Amino acid sequence: MRILLKTILLGTSICMLHSCGGVPEDKADTATVENAFSVEEVLEMVSKENDVTRTLYTKAIVGKGKIQGMKFDEDWRKDDVEAGPLPALFLRGVATSLRKSPVPLGLYLGSDFPVNAANKFEGKQAELFTQIKKDHKPQFFFDEDQKLHTAMFADLASADACVTCHNKHPQTTKSDWKLGDVMGATTWQYPKDSLTYKETVDVLSSYAKGTVDVYMEYLDEIENFKSSEKPEIGDKWPEEGFYLPSAEVFLDSVKKLSSYETVKHLVVTSE
Amino acid sequence: MFKVSPLRKRQVLGSIIGLVLGGALFYILTLDSTESYVSIGPMNTGHQELNCFACHADAKGNLLQQVQSNISHAVGAREHGVEFGTQDVTVDNCLQCHDRANDRHPTYRFSEPRFKEAITHIDATTCITCHSEHGNERVSVANINYCMNCHQDLEVEDDPLDVSHQKLIAQEAWNTCIQCHDFHGNHKYDVPEKLKDTIPMKYIKAYFDGGKDPYGDHKKYKALSQEAWLESLDK
Repeated sequence: MRILLKTILLGTSICMLHSCGGVPEDKADTATVENAFSVEEVLEMVSKENDVTRTLYTKAIVGKGKIQGMKFDEDWRKDDVEAGPLPALFLRGVATSLRKSPVPLGLYLGSDFPVNAANKFEGKQAELFTQIKKDHKPQFFFDEDQKLHTAMFADLASADACVTCHNKHPQTTKSDWKLGDVMGATTWQYPKDSLTYKETVDVLSSYAKGTVDVYMEYLDEIENFKSSEKPEIGDKWPEEGFYLPSAEVFLDSVKKLSSYETVKHLVVTSE
Repeated sequence: MFKVSPLRKRQVLGSIIGLVLGGALFYILTLDSTESYVSIGPMNTGHQELNCFACHADAKGNLLQQVQSNISHAVGAREHGVEFGTQDVTVDNCLQCHDRANDRHPTYRFSEPRFKEAITHIDATTCITCHSEHGNERVSVANINYCMNCHQDLEVEDDPLDVSHQKLIAQEAWNTCIQCHDFHGNHKYDVPEKLKDTIPMKYIKAYFDGGKDPYGDHKKYKALSQEAWLESLDK
């Protein structure tokens, strides 16, 4: 009788526990959506987006802005510096914005002759960068320690502003840069080996949002300028005078410049 | 029907008392006013006003669901287990209040492969390496020589310091870095040019232990209060 009672009690407990239902599994864990792109393809796409956006910022904002008398500085975030971000700091800002987004994408910039010694490549990255300098081709590897798929892409001196600023920088470790040189490389990381269409679009959207976030921070800095003249912010660009495009106008141009290959890739896959 | 022995009666009475006491304790120790009794130690400087939930968010589901899910996982009936009681505290929890655009050493930067060796000495990818909570202090790192892990090759052009950075590095005087430069770079202050004018180590140590800020009160960004953090969640 005692064994029967204990069995009933145990059975009832198990039934009660089971009837409450478990914690629902995450949709991502159970989803069966087909992956559309390999991580290499996605990182190449976002890298191309980065190329066109940074070239736009470097040429149309920094290059033309300097001609108009606008200042750009590596210490642009400091209270006593009234300036905009240099292209490398612009990329750093995008990387920070990505870190805050729900997309697990990492972005870094390094070189073998960096202005800041802390950005010098070491180990595996230094080894692959030697190859990138030779053939300008991307390099991919799996970072075993962090379990992250990693890609490195050449960062070229695409504008006069890149060359002159780096050659003249007081901390420079190389002063004979030329247009077209491989000045460094961007490193991108993502945890999965393949992505769904939605995850791919999320990666590209997060990057675009990152560029706008940094640009808006720059406009906020301008708003707080105390001793420097503030450029007029609207729909005009520095090429036309002492103007800067608004965040909307800047984003619009970023969207228009979206790499043709990226759009083609996305459209073909969605069909 | 059943013959109940006096011993069994005592067992039943004991069980009832245990259940009532257990229930009462569970109720009392989950009240906001008794959080300090549950905490494993006093909060760090600046965190004294926080409630437990600010960092320890409830895990998904109720306790019975969590028990069932983990039992299912243990017997292979479910692919993943679930968090029990509260969610793990991660860097993201810290950054919800402490994220700053001007952070000189943001945690994410150290995830890059080239810091692989450095983070074996000091794991800068996570806040708690230096800011372990519940210790009634500000900085919990054991040695203040951590700059040595990345800045061995530092060269400063037109070095303004009377004893050059290069010389300090050669002397392995890594403790001196923090006497001029705060790690996260959020203070606005004039950096001294003579070693004798730098912040004495005893003030740095006192600051790490939770004392007065020797770099001054002028900060570009301030961490969110619990109220401001809650408001930010509603946006």
